[in-house]
Amino acid sequence: MFPSSTAIRVEHVTQRFRLIHERPDTLREVFAKRFKGKSSVHDFEALKDVSFEVHHGEMLGVVGVNGSGKSTLLKVVSGVYAPSAGKVEVNGRLASLLELGSGMHPELTGRENIILNGLLMGYSKKQMKAREQRIIDFADIGEFIDVPLKQYSSGMYARLAFSVATEVDPDILVVDEILSVGDANFAAKSFKRMMDFRDSGKTILFVTHSMQQVLQYCDRAILLEAGRLVIDGAPEEVIERYAPGTLASTSALASASEKYLASLRE
Amino acid sequence: MTDLLRDSFKYRELIWALAMKELTVRYKRSVLGFLWALLNPALFMLVLTVVFSTVMPIAIPHYAVFLLSTLVPWTFFSQGATYAVESIVMNSDLIKKVAVPKVVFPVAAVVSNLINFALSLIPLLLIVLIMRHPFYWTWILLPISVIALSIFTLGFGLFFATANVYYRDVSHIVQILMNLWFYVTPIIYKVDAFPPKFRWIFRLNPILYVLNDFRMFVYYGQVPTALSILGSFVCAGGALVIGYWFFRKHQSEFVFYV
Repeated sequence: MFPSSTAIRVEHVTQRFRLIHERPDTLREVFAKRFKGKSSVHDFEALKDVSFEVHHGEMLGVVGVNGSGKSTLLKVVSGVYAPSAGKVEVNGRLASLLELGSGMHPELTGRENIILNGLLMGYSKKQMKAREQRIIDFADIGEFIDVPLKQYSSGMYARLAFSVATEVDPDILVVDEILSVGDANFAAKSFKRMMDFRDSGKTILFVTHSMQQVLQYCDRAILLEAGRLVIDGAPEEVIERYAPGTLASTSALASASEKYLASLRE
Repeated sequence: MTDLLRDSFKYRELIWALAMKELTVRYKRSVLGFLWALLNPALFMLVLTVVFSTVMPIAIPHYAVFLLSTLVPWTFFSQGATYAVESIVMNSDLIKKVAVPKVVFPVAAVVSNLINFALSLIPLLLIVLIMRHPFYWTWILLPISVIALSIFTLGFGLFFATANVYYRDVSHIVQILMNLWFYVTPIIYKVDAFPPKFRWIFRLNPILYVLNDFRMFVYYGQVPTALSILGSFVCAGGALVIGYWFFRKHQSEFVFYV
């Protein structure tokens, strides 16, 4: 189906940011800085020489503390940031769920946002119209679909966004922590859908703080620390490194959750 | 330049949706809704017409038509350019979270104002009929100048939208520039009002040619000289080449500055 078995290849990616408080915002500040002879440049590396690969049909978990570069990594893979150095190669159609409300407009209704969101991802209006009903059904937001998004709860936002991103049937799905705002029922439904996705040979790149989810769903995981990839391996290995001594309790949680999911499937 | 066309074509539905969003969000929660897009220019034109035909008559015959034949396209330019200049900063949410060609935002800003412009041609036609000014066949040639003016507006917008990402002062400077530009352009007056030896100065104004063509089509009912039409496209093409070159050079950095 694909010319290469690699869905995502990240090679020596470094992402540099100019820190915002050091950046002159207005001409006055520029002249002031010039006059005082101060340099306004202060670079920060959010990702440092990161390399890894994700194969088709694989679900890769990305873990790390806040500020370790997880979200930056997803944005680089999604094409929002052009990396300062290195290369990103993506084989296949990619859909990403980055932050709550990305690609949505608060003044437009849910129905209008489904179209807008699809167009932003490069799909046509016709393609989105054809999927509209299935998206609404899965998101399960009832009559709110014709209400402006600004009146949605954050859970409804997340459900609609997840529903759009998965219903467009991408080859690769990139998901930030967005799912943590949904309720347990929707989370279970979402994970079931992601599992079906993976089983049909699609690729998922997934950021989470839940070690249980890593253990339960991911084939492999990577750990980021201050922008560096410190370990790329089996979920157990990564958990042992990230949160030493918690593997036993995590696997107990994972198997309990597995039973719950199985009961839902019946 | 080919990627400008390719992106605009590939994302044409998105551009249209963004342009319509611009218009509908503006009129949301008003009773008359989208009708304001028609009423606004109509009432404005009516006021101008009444003022200049009764309160403050001017020696130029049918002055309201004379004025509006260039004021309506000027308004499209000044508003379209203003929207385009702010479009990147205004859409920072999308730019920071979605991978989409950035050029769709300025293009959508111009398109939404183009729709407004098209709507304001209806009251313009009504004024022409009310004033008993001849309705010339040359109206059908208007699209030529609309194309030139749209290209010029986009080029101008792309250039200053890029600058505005780095220094937000730019959008304010553009506002002032627009005010100044309005008065140095023969919109409310004729070039003939100036001594012949100074008239060449007006030719340095890149928007003069296209506005002059609009006036020829609507007010005089004449086909402008080939030189005038050529001039309008040279200025428009020049603006687009410079504007898009500057935009393209910096667009991958926008996400870090918005």
